Amino acid sequence: MTTNMVGIEIKDLHLSFGETEVLTGVNLTIEPGEFFSFLGPSGSGKSTLLRAVAGFGPTPKGQILIGGRDIVDLPPWKRNVGMVFQSYALWPHMSVRDNVAFGLKERKMPVSEIGPRVEAALDLVGLLSMAGRMPNQLSGGQQQRIALARTIVVEPQVLLLDEPLSNLDASLRVQMRRELLALQRKLGLTTIFVTHDQEEANTTSDRMAVLDGGVIQQVGSPQVLYDTPANLFVANFLGTANIIDGVVEKDGAAARFVTKTGDAIAVGDTTVNSGSIVLRPQNISIVAKDSANSISGTVMHREFLGSQIRYLVDAAGTEIVIDQSHVSGETWQDIGAEVSLNINSSAAVVLAS
Amino acid sequence: MTHSPRGSAPGLSIADRLPKYLFPRIGGTAAIALLIAILLVGLLIVPVLQVIYVAFLDPNTGALTLNNFKDFFGSSLFRESFGNSFYVSAVSVVMATIIAMPLAYITTRFNFGGSVIIQSLGFIPLIMPPFVGAVAMQLIFGRNGSVNLILRDKFGISIPFMEGLNGVILVQSIHYFPFILINLSTSLRNIDRSMEEAAQNLGSTGMRMFRRIVFPLAMPGYIAGAVLVFIKVFDDLGTPLLLNVNNMLAPQAFLRISSIGISDPMGYVISFILVAFSIFSLWVSFLFMRGKDYSTVQKGGGGLSKRDLSTREKWIAYGTVSLILLMVLSPHIGLLLLSFGTIWSYAPLPDDYTLQNFVVMWENSGTYISNTVLYAGLAATADVILGTAIAYIVLRTKLFGRQALDYMATASLAVPGVVLGIGYLRLFHGVQVPFSGEPMASWWVIIALALMVRRLPYALRACMAALQQVSISLEEAAESLGASKQSTIRRIVVPLMSGGILAGFVTSFATAAVELSATIMLVSSDSDAPLAYGIYLFMQTPSGRGAGAALGIVAVILVGVGTYASQRIIERDKKMRMSGDAH
Amino acid sequence: MKNYLGGSLAVCALAASSMAAFSAEPVVVITSFPSSMTGPIEAAFEEANPGIDLEILNKKTSAGVKYIQELAGANTADIFWASAPDAFEVLKGDGLLADAGGISSTGIPDKIGSFPMNDPDGKYLGFAAAGYGIMWNTRYLKANGLEPVSEWSDLKNPEYFGHVGMSAPSRSGTTHLTVETMLQGEGWDKGWAEWKWIAGNFATVTERSFGVPDGVNTGNFGLGIVIDFFGFSSKASGFPVDFAYPSVTALVPANIGLVKDGPNAAEASTFIEYLLTPEGQEVLLDPAIMRLPINPATYASAPEGFPNPFKDSSIGSAVNFDVSKSGARYNLVNSLFDVMITYRLDDLREAVRAVQVAEAKYPDGSNPEAAALIAEARALIEANPIDEAQSLNEDFAGIFTKKRKKVTDTVGERQAEVEQRWDTMVVENYRRAKELAEQAANL
Repeated sequence: MTTNMVGIEIKDLHLSFGETEVLTGVNLTIEPGEFFSFLGPSGSGKSTLLRAVAGFGPTPKGQILIGGRDIVDLPPWKRNVGMVFQSYALWPHMSVRDNVAFGLKERKMPVSEIGPRVEAALDLVGLLSMAGRMPNQLSGGQQQRIALARTIVVEPQVLLLDEPLSNLDASLRVQMRRELLALQRKLGLTTIFVTHDQEEANTTSDRMAVLDGGVIQQVGSPQVLYDTPANLFVANFLGTANIIDGVVEKDGAAARFVTKTGDAIAVGDTTVNSGSIVLRPQNISIVAKDSANSISGTVMHREFLGSQIRYLVDAAGTEIVIDQSHVSGETWQDIGAEVSLNINSSAAVVLAS
Repeated sequence: MTHSPRGSAPGLSIADRLPKYLFPRIGGTAAIALLIAILLVGLLIVPVLQVIYVAFLDPNTGALTLNNFKDFFGSSLFRESFGNSFYVSAVSVVMATIIAMPLAYITTRFNFGGSVIIQSLGFIPLIMPPFVGAVAMQLIFGRNGSVNLILRDKFGISIPFMEGLNGVILVQSIHYFPFILINLSTSLRNIDRSMEEAAQNLGSTGMRMFRRIVFPLAMPGYIAGAVLVFIKVFDDLGTPLLLNVNNMLAPQAFLRISSIGISDPMGYVISFILVAFSIFSLWVSFLFMRGKDYSTVQKGGGGLSKRDLSTREKWIAYGTVSLILLMVLSPHIGLLLLSFGTIWSYAPLPDDYTLQNFVVMWENSGTYISNTVLYAGLAATADVILGTAIAYIVLRTKLFGRQALDYMATASLAVPGVVLGIGYLRLFHGVQVPFSGEPMASWWVIIALALMVRRLPYALRACMAALQQVSISLEEAAESLGASKQSTIRRIVVPLMSGGILAGFVTSFATAAVELSATIMLVSSDSDAPLAYGIYLFMQTPSGRGAGAALGIVAVILVGVGTYASQRIIERDKKMRMSGDAH
Repeated sequence: MKNYLGGSLAVCALAASSMAAFSAEPVVVITSFPSSMTGPIEAAFEEANPGIDLEILNKKTSAGVKYIQELAGANTADIFWASAPDAFEVLKGDGLLADAGGISSTGIPDKIGSFPMNDPDGKYLGFAAAGYGIMWNTRYLKANGLEPVSEWSDLKNPEYFGHVGMSAPSRSGTTHLTVETMLQGEGWDKGWAEWKWIAGNFATVTERSFGVPDGVNTGNFGLGIVIDFFGFSSKASGFPVDFAYPSVTALVPANIGLVKDGPNAAEASTFIEYLLTPEGQEVLLDPAIMRLPINPATYASAPEGFPNPFKDSSIGSAVNFDVSKSGARYNLVNSLFDVMITYRLDDLREAVRAVQVAEAKYPDGSNPEAAALIAEARALIEANPIDEAQSLNEDFAGIFTKKRKKVTDTVGERQAEVEQRWDTMVVENYRRAKELAEQAANL
């Protein structure tokens, strides 16, 4: 099962359901062999974009190139992209074997070849022994694997996964996502993975695109997106963020972000004059009063999260979330305690409003 | 939640000391189930047994015998009749499928303007009494009907649409295809779009995908519809008789039971065989469908997929749909022409047009219409009440023998109307209506009861389907908030089932309104006659044809408008429910 | 629809039905006549006798008989009103008719044609006359280049193949009368032969007697064997049809009788009397009814061209109809007709067509070999399973009625067995006849 790895290019794609535009000006390049995620809340257009690649739903305007070939006008059955559905979509009237063999039969492959290929695919997902079962006799995880086997057996150029893990329970989900990734690496198959779960996207993706309102907000590796969000949506959607409005004051090369309450935070070089500063909770620490680059405030609330303690601090009317690593035996700040907050300014990101 | 007060019993009564099984505790639900069972046994099983019992009697000695069955199978005429009945039923199923399949597929799987109208129009053939349809079909497709007159004039050919068994097949498949349309459409709507998309994604398309994926998944609905068509055609008497086809089982039974002075047991033997064979067909279809309820396996998908059609496809689709509708509505077109026509004889169209037929009809048929609304309304109301109760008992309780209720109610599908009518006459013979002292057999309520029993299976299916869609957790939620079983049913279950109940009511009402087979047996005076009987009476005279047709048109419009309205309500209801999970 | 069928099913009907007599105790009339006929008569009567209310209960003749039989004991019906004298004979035989001899019938002759107007025992009275004849659709005949026919024997001609319609005698009392008339007029064997040759030209055998005029009216087939008033009323309704009496026909009275122990005997008698008065007779000339009045004076107001059997003695006088003979083999004749014609119409048609084709090839009998084959084929088609003596044998005919009077009564054979025997013979004969005729045609 080897594939000539192909890339995917999406150029200025627009898509509407009737009057409502659900995808606006999507431009995207996915490298050959890449594991790429579409991440976004429901209604963001991520599934719609995936289905457009597969050829389902209304025909979009713009281009979708797979291996350099524009497929926008091709019907789904001529695209040679493999899709795994959220519901698995195993046909209940066919056995596991028939489900997996379906695509090969459609391709008019000789029967003598179909058998071995089906078995190889089932073996790959570890379910060869289930070949004779009917889908309703399988567990959710098994159905998921069969759906995957059914898709890859036809050796598609691209693998599309539409929330494939959402119907599984939590522990199985972790295991399956590792298997998925291992399989993708083994096959070298360019893969798009749609999810609303940032943990799934972070753990699997080479790169990912965050979507909101039918627009791509940012593309990059999980780390880049987390550390340097391009806008408030991305900052908020990936992990927890403190967002404080204010203005940038420049003093030669040095720049300070001054909040509305007058606290100043040193920041790196920026072109922004006014906007928001994004501070990750773990990049703020509680320190002795009046140290440099610090803000003072009062502890309002405290949560023990196991590896961390989360404090909610009121700094002159602005609520700031702070995560401190939990070390055994350490004493915690009391509710109502006056504290100073030290900000790791190299990790601060300033965004224009 | 039946409350059985316990505990605070001060001192045991004698009853308490006796073994418990002497006093089975009958909860409210069980009591209702028992009541329904008694009703079904009394109004369906006993009357039918009354009739088919004769098949086992020696006409000479009155002793029990199987000789009559020996004679049946010994007679080449009866064997041929059996073969013809089977052939006509099977081919009618095929024809009905050819008619219903494109309509169902196009309206459920594509974004297609007028789907609701097509679905409603597709229902209309069911609400025309088949004998009226046969009259109109003769005028259009008969030997010297419009089509053949034109063909002969233009091309010198004629097509034997209506000759012999062909005519029966044509009329029956046009009349009964809605059973397949309705069931198949429901099944198709329940197929999750990912089922098809997965197939397309793997390279399948068009007819091939339909054959391998869509149709097998819709099979349960299709089989349910097809077996109904098969049974109805097998049992139907009116159409073959009106087309003067005698060599089929039902007409043979009728001819033998109804000739002057003949007490030949063969008619009863045939009745028995009709009932037995129909039950057998139902049973086979149940066996086939067992374990094939696919809808439950398809979870969490993207809902129904409706594809846009390209311009070319649109033309083909509209062409196909129009052609089919033209054909299935041809009886109505014929009837319309007849109702406005003066004389229509050996000509493609009536000689002239007039409103006189409607005037005559209007002056004479007020009672027919009000009787019909009364009988069919009562029957359909009772049907949905019974249907809801049975559906609840079967699906939501663990009562012993609950399936028997379902089977019994469904079995009435297998009972030809004539057999039920005769059974009622026998059963109620000599019984008097309380208070008025009228003989029971000629009391109009009996007509409504017969209609109720005949149409119960339709309402029951609709109620069952509706209840299956109501998640049990919604009931549990209500109960956990302190609602009793009773008020949960009243305030949660029934409102959620309302779409299905309405559908059941409409199907029962519409088909009961045009039923003639059982009612004609039971109507004892013109003032008690329903509409279909009125049309029949009109059409027995040369001058009454037009007026009869006018009455037929009124019937079709009345029931058609009702059907369309309820279809709209059901659609709206569905949309309301779906809006919750759109994403 | 399963029908109208039902109507007759009342057969079984054990019907206790009856009319709900609530207030004014209406006179209950069981009738086979359509409401287009009973309606005007009822209206005229109720106008003349405002105190009496009629309740008309429409049943097919056979169903009506059954109905009254089942009601005996707790009778609620007053009058039985229908065409076929046989039906009245059945009721009379069961003792279910009251004496109607006392009802005045001034000016009504004793006979119509050769048929006695009233039951000699006074159990039922004629009120109108009707005769069977041939009705045709003029447009149809013109389009198919056919001539109207006025004699039964003309219907045998090959050019009418597939153009003729008729009802089955088992379905319609009046049709039975026609069949029996031919059997009595031409003799048993010749009569059946005539019927089979005519039936070979049938387009269909209709289930209801009204199916025949209906078929002719719409042009479904061109000629029909119908009772006269269907022809007259169809014509009066505007259809392009016409009607003629053949010379061999029975002009028979349509009858009315009092049901025994009817609850309103006096009012019922008033209705029958009214029906026989000149005013009552006049209503029969209503365009929707068009039955022959039996009061000769009424013909004075008949439309032009309306036949008057009291003047034109050629109508219906050729046969002396023997009611007792007809009654003795009533069911047997019906069954024989069904077995030989109704149920085996396709086989019969094919055989007859083959003979017609062969005869057309050798119209002059010039080929003796062909002539012999054709003669043999004709004999096979004409062959009857039983002869007249057997048809009148009480025991044999009893198989077809099976009215057990006593537990000890036994019948030798079951009807189904007899019919199967006939059927085997008939099917084989028709098959063989077709084969022979085709052989002759291929010579």
